[in-house]
Amino acid sequence: MLGRILAIAHNTFREAVRDRVLYNLVLFVLLLTGAAIFIGELSGGQERKIIVDLGLSAMLLFGVFIAIFVGVGLVYKEIERRTVYSIFSKPVGRGEFIVGKYLGLCLTLLVNVIVMGAGVSLALVYVSRGWDPMIPRIWPAVLLIYVELMILTGVTLLFSSFSSPALSALLTFFVFIIGHFSADLKSLASSMGSVGARWLFTGLYYLVPNLSNYSFITPAAHGRAPEPAFVLAAMLYALIYITVILAAATLVFSKRNFK
Amino acid sequence: MTQGESLSINNDRAKTFGLLAVVAFGLITAALLASWIDAKRPSADPNVVDEGLYLKAQTARRLSLSFNGLAADWYWMRSLQYVGGKIVNMREDVVFDNLEQLNLKLLPSLLDTATTLDPEFFQPYEYAAAVLPAVNVNEAIRIVQKGSAANPSEWRLYQHLGYLYWQKQDYKSAAEAYGNGAQIPGAPQWMEAMKARMLADGGSRSTAREIYVRMYEQSSDNNIRTMARHHVFQIDAADQMEVLQKVLSEFQPRNGRCISGWKELQSELRTLRMPIDSTGAPIDPSGTPYVLGTNCQVQLSPSSGVPAR
Repeated sequence: MLGRILAIAHNTFREAVRDRVLYNLVLFVLLLTGAAIFIGELSGGQERKIIVDLGLSAMLLFGVFIAIFVGVGLVYKEIERRTVYSIFSKPVGRGEFIVGKYLGLCLTLLVNVIVMGAGVSLALVYVSRGWDPMIPRIWPAVLLIYVELMILTGVTLLFSSFSSPALSALLTFFVFIIGHFSADLKSLASSMGSVGARWLFTGLYYLVPNLSNYSFITPAAHGRAPEPAFVLAAMLYALIYITVILAAATLVFSKRNFK
Repeated sequence: MTQGESLSINNDRAKTFGLLAVVAFGLITAALLASWIDAKRPSADPNVVDEGLYLKAQTARRLSLSFNGLAADWYWMRSLQYVGGKIVNMREDVVFDNLEQLNLKLLPSLLDTATTLDPEFFQPYEYAAAVLPAVNVNEAIRIVQKGSAANPSEWRLYQHLGYLYWQKQDYKSAAEAYGNGAQIPGAPQWMEAMKARMLADGGSRSTAREIYVRMYEQSSDNNIRTMARHHVFQIDAADQMEVLQKVLSEFQPRNGRCISGWKELQSELRTLRMPIDSTGAPIDPSGTPYVLGTNCQVQLSPSSGVPAR
């Protein structure tokens, strides 16, 4: 089973790296990071903060674009091109297909995030004229950004397992936005008068992934790294959430009739 | 190659050159037109420049998702551009710590939003302490207090708070601020000394000098350091001028006239250890010789690096 999943993941990765859109997005982030060096000159001595803020924010935003726009096509393209028939004519389970696709895109994102993180680190080396102690402190934030992208990739895959690419992209983007409003959902739930509304918002709070757990860009720009226990807890939360999403995606995808 | 193929290649080349010419000509024309439009553009409406922010600080923070740090950077740079733009439009010498004439009514909101978006962003607090008193000292105090609440381990914010209260001549609150800052681990010992000084001698020139010297030492912002240095120059020059005036007023009744040149006071200046230049003239803290005005009054030279006020 693992071999089949890895084979699908490998093919997905190969397919993704052939996509020019991906290169354009990564190139754009690197250009933005380079531009941050010059923008920083307008900041009254805050060049390093601007580089980290702009570089990591661009990494997150464009990572979300990659996860959404590459992710929505993963399943849809296979169905549209009817290649899904030849895959399922072989001894490949639908769950293996979904997990393989997921891992392939996660690998693509990992390479992108590493390239973008290296770009930010090089920009810091450039402005500091050598080694900058901030460099090792931005990588935990980069890791958390990557974990957030892994969750969003799972969400994209779940939506694309039953709806059109455009709708999947829209829904995933909504999850990204609502996921960052989790704290507001919780406080909204507690301030609601009616019990029904309170339950609804509390339910939404626990249903939608709490993406604010992965927002560590601003502290990283001040040279602060998160506690290792916090990173581990956030990763465990992501692991559980991704398992749930992939199980749900497999369930939905298994019910689909391709005849 | 047949004649038809050769003709086709020539046509392709002509088309390529034609398109390149259109691109080049178009870009040059667009650039010329843009500069003409810039020259003809009416100057910005001051009401639009000072138009209030559409978003409240808290709303901006909520809407910024994970990008609050980046949004704070944007508001911070907007603050600098706002002040810089006003100074450029003023076309007069503007002293950094006295920007009243610039009417910077949008600055408190910009700095408040920047610090609400990123409460650990130190630079806007420092800027608020240095620049805002000319606009609204209470707003400056509120922003710096917000900063010290969000960064309880940052003693330098208490230093700024003390400075703001000192400017308001509220020496008791200033002493309290310095005292609170002194309690923070890592705070220098002079913070405690400043507390005592505020209570005993808050309005004195030596206290003012100490405040600006510390500000100069601690700040990483060049504008603030320059401002602090100018204040130290002004205070030192005021001290020196008082001494020189005293020497001059002693010379006059003794000789029935004012001195014809500084050389006549060489021995007195040496005794007072007053810095002098090669001509024997006493020099101000910026290294420029003092001049004698009418009625035997010592004055700063017009070319002095010490600000007049």
